[in-house]
Amino acid sequence: MNDNDVLIKIENLQKSFGSLDVLCGITTEIRKGEVVAIIGPSGCGKSTFLRSLNLLEQPTGGTITFEGVDITDKRVNVDKMRQKIGMVFQQFNLFPHMTIKKNIMLAPVKLKVMSEEEASRKADELLYRIGLPDKADQYPDMLSGGQKQRVAIARALAMNPDVMLFDEPTSALDPEMVGEVLDLMRELAQSGMTMIVVTHEMGFAKEVASRVLFIDEGNIKEENTPAEFFSNPSNPRLRDFLSKVLV
Amino acid sequence: MFQNFQDKFYLNFIMDDRWKYLVNGLKTTLTVTFFAVIIGILLGFLVAVIRSTCEKTGKMKILNFICKVYLTVIRGTPVVVQLLIIYFVVFASVKIDKTFVAILAFGLNSGAYVAEIIRGGIMSIDNGQFEAGRSLGFSYPQTMIYIILPQVFKNVLPSLGNEFIVLLKETSVAGYIALEDLTKGGDIIRSRTYDAFMPLIAVAIIYLIMVLAFSKLLSILERRLRSNER
Repeated sequence: MNDNDVLIKIENLQKSFGSLDVLCGITTEIRKGEVVAIIGPSGCGKSTFLRSLNLLEQPTGGTITFEGVDITDKRVNVDKMRQKIGMVFQQFNLFPHMTIKKNIMLAPVKLKVMSEEEASRKADELLYRIGLPDKADQYPDMLSGGQKQRVAIARALAMNPDVMLFDEPTSALDPEMVGEVLDLMRELAQSGMTMIVVTHEMGFAKEVASRVLFIDEGNIKEENTPAEFFSNPSNPRLRDFLSKVLV
Repeated sequence: MFQNFQDKFYLNFIMDDRWKYLVNGLKTTLTVTFFAVIIGILLGFLVAVIRSTCEKTGKMKILNFICKVYLTVIRGTPVVVQLLIIYFVVFASVKIDKTFVAILAFGLNSGAYVAEIIRGGIMSIDNGQFEAGRSLGFSYPQTMIYIILPQVFKNVLPSLGNEFIVLLKETSVAGYIALEDLTKGGDIIRSRTYDAFMPLIAVAIIYLIMVLAFSKLLSILERRLRSNER
């Protein structure tokens, strides 16, 4: 394996809230172009793990090296790093006081990554890509859940990130809207975007992911290609988990 | 009866140009209110941001402590006492414009209430909004300015408007330091004419009209801010 392909290197990552240890020394690597699905029972620390990667949760131990820079180092400008790490939330978190287009344009313009015109062009392009060009001037409250999540993905993409983090992107959606969001994520994966996805959508993990991680009790208990992972699970906890979720 | 009313009106407002007490008083009241509101907003805004930043990030502990003391003292004592202390204690040895003292006292007082209104507004914004801002690469202050505060402003506008109406009426105690505001103006007329009804009712009506006008302006502004939402 070529070391240059490693985008994020996670070493012995720990996080505790008071006396509660949520992450107990996770070590793994994310390579460019990979789509990593993270599954596990609720409360296992998978969301905390994902949120540690852009320091929304401050790790209590270990290191995260993103593009060669240790971002857990206090001297590193975290805001600059986060510009390269897109994030999509379960609850969308669109800015309700701005139109859809303004939501997408805000970060690139205010952070001076693009000029107003460039950002506007980029926003139009993204709106077309997510299939919502006619919603540009509407407000988030007028959109359905699936549409909101697609806009949230577009908003993150507007910064041209090197990796996208998805924190249970379809868990807050009505069942009939899950498909449209997964379709967009699938398209994104095919375009070569590096993605880390915490999900309960086993179908998506099986079909789109290049690697699946099973996190339980604050650690990676099993990681494998989706084919092996689902057909041949070796960890007993994983077998138990899969027997519950795969009907 | 009508003749009687006319005579009284003449006695209280026309004779010796007594209406000027009301007009000049009104000017003073408006001046004090206007500048006190500005001080109140700036101060309240600053205190609110410091307080909520400390609560969210654990930074600025010392400033937060100072803010807490300020809030406790201002909210724990009557505004008249604060006014008297600033005039007779703080500025005891210097000759100073009473209007300035009133502006300072009411501004400091209002700041404490505005601060808590805005802080409540900031706390009511979902934490996901902060996280979304930070995850895009905005710093904490940028997230505040571009994402949080515009939403806060819209949400707290009714409470802020209420605070300013209270402030406008509260300035009527400025007579305690012999500042000739609207209320004092009416009172001076009363002491000259020995008629209480006319000047005091006139003063009350003027306050009422000001408050009504202000409420109207506020509701127009609110509607305009809400127009972009469903």
